[in-house]
Amino acid sequence: MNTDFLDAHDRHWQDAGLLFESTRMANADHLYGMAAECGIKRLMVAFGMPIGSDGGPTDESDRIHANHAWVRYEAYRSGHHEGASFALPTTNPFRDWNVSQRYANQCNFDHKRVDSHRLGAEAVRKLIGKARKEGLI
Amino acid sequence: MMTFDAILPKVAEIFQQHQADVPCVRPLLINRDLNGRVRLIMDEKWEHDDRAMAAINKITRKIEGALGPHAYPAEDALLFESNFEEVLASEAKFSLEGIEGVYVVDRLATEGNWSSISPPNTTTPRIVFFSIKGGVGRSTALAATAWALAESGKRVLVLDLDLESPGLSSSLLSEDRRPTHGIADWLVEDLVDNGCMVFENMVATSSLSHNGEIYVVPAHGAKAGEYIAKLGRVWMPKVSTHGSRESWSQRLRRLIEELEKRWAPDVTLIDSRAGIDEVASACLTGLSASMILLFAIDSDQTWSGYQILFRHWRITGVVREIRERLQLVGAMIPEVGADDYFDGLRERAWDIFSEELYDEVPAGAISTEKGSWSFDEADEGAPHSPWSVRWHRGFAALRNLHGRLTGIDGEEVHTIFGPLIDGIMLLIEAERGES
Repeated sequence: MNTDFLDAHDRHWQDAGLLFESTRMANADHLYGMAAECGIKRLMVAFGMPIGSDGGPTDESDRIHANHAWVRYEAYRSGHHEGASFALPTTNPFRDWNVSQRYANQCNFDHKRVDSHRLGAEAVRKLIGKARKEGLI
Repeated sequence: MMTFDAILPKVAEIFQQHQADVPCVRPLLINRDLNGRVRLIMDEKWEHDDRAMAAINKITRKIEGALGPHAYPAEDALLFESNFEEVLASEAKFSLEGIEGVYVVDRLATEGNWSSISPPNTTTPRIVFFSIKGGVGRSTALAATAWALAESGKRVLVLDLDLESPGLSSSLLSEDRRPTHGIADWLVEDLVDNGCMVFENMVATSSLSHNGEIYVVPAHGAKAGEYIAKLGRVWMPKVSTHGSRESWSQRLRRLIEELEKRWAPDVTLIDSRAGIDEVASACLTGLSASMILLFAIDSDQTWSGYQILFRHWRITGVVREIRERLQLVGAMIPEVGADDYFDGLRERAWDIFSEELYDEVPAGAISTEKGSWSFDEADEGAPHSPWSVRWHRGFAALRNLHGRLTGIDGEEVHTIFGPLIDGIMLLIEAERGES
């Protein structure tokens, strides 16, 4: 299957919201991280990230998850004129998030932890909305 | 032939033809993106409403057919917003003429859109000096005004916002008095929360004032440093840790508020960049100006530029928010034939003010009637009636102005700049009376 970062961002965000509302915190947390990663990568494509014919990144350094993508994004954004108005907060809300946490026990995922990741994913989602309206993506 | 200027008339025509469908889908935003391509933004609640979708799909197909390269394919022409009410309230938008509940949102590559008008400042009066064309003596007039106001005992804060062609400060400060930093330095440092490092050292007092004070804030410090590298960053918005965004002009307004708090001036004079420019957009619309002085010489370039600007305010529906703050200044009124020149200037100014800014006066009514904002061509108190600044050899070159003002007498300044100085003095007194 080909990569579709935008669609993946949308569906991960929506499903994360459903789980969050049902207090299924552990999986909501995982999906907020995935939603942020996919959204950030769609913006990175707009700002020049090289991709292959399947839509996935060709550079090994771009094959990363939300905790690293938040920082990597800045490199692409800063190299693109239109990136000036697409800044994410400098403090990375996913610094304590890791994709391998999907193997962890759910008692580790309290509301506070998940909410900070929800807000991080929401910041990405706002930029996706802005990019759509401006015709960048 | 389909080009940008035909987008809105065509879209308005389509909505007119579909008037019956509009109530099913409004409110609605017509989104003109950075590339000038049109999509519609609507409330997510309509996405699963068959009647609404049938109505909107008819419209998007028509738009695709009519706008050609300026449209998205109909299947990709809709964006749905879950928090539509919030979007509607926060976007800078204007009504699509004749269609209730349908608005246009323009996405621009520049931040300044010339139509987000901040209300006048309620504490210190702020006066913006603007001209469509450079080289008409705007900065010189500002320096002379600052000098005259300070002579009368006022504390005057002067900001050089002609960032791309700085120089005003050299007319008010001798070389040895220039501060180490300027506005561009603060705007760059503020991005990394380091503005306080330059704040106290970006203001210098002019030795030209005797009775009051002139606080000068230059575009850059005594040493410009890496000015181009800094200038390329001043436009940056600032994103807080919580994700809230502050545009560069909002950052600039915050700086001015802090400067006014620190130096407590009676008036702030702002030298804007000339022309339809990003800095000028901020100065005229985003800095809560109390008064905007429009410098004009009698040339086609001047009138065509002002007409573009005024029309934009009219079309985007903000004209009432800004028009009462405008005042024309006749720049470089020649020594010979001054009266005829002045009359010509006023006549051409009236043509565009009455067409774009003034309310229409119905036949038989008088223009000063209550409720209507309109003026006769000959009305000397009207915004289109120029405050005249006479051309004077000694003031024509800004390079010499510091020396010129050092040895000048007030009478000469008043002969040249009198109506401008008196007008500003009246504004300061009026605002002081109100507060």
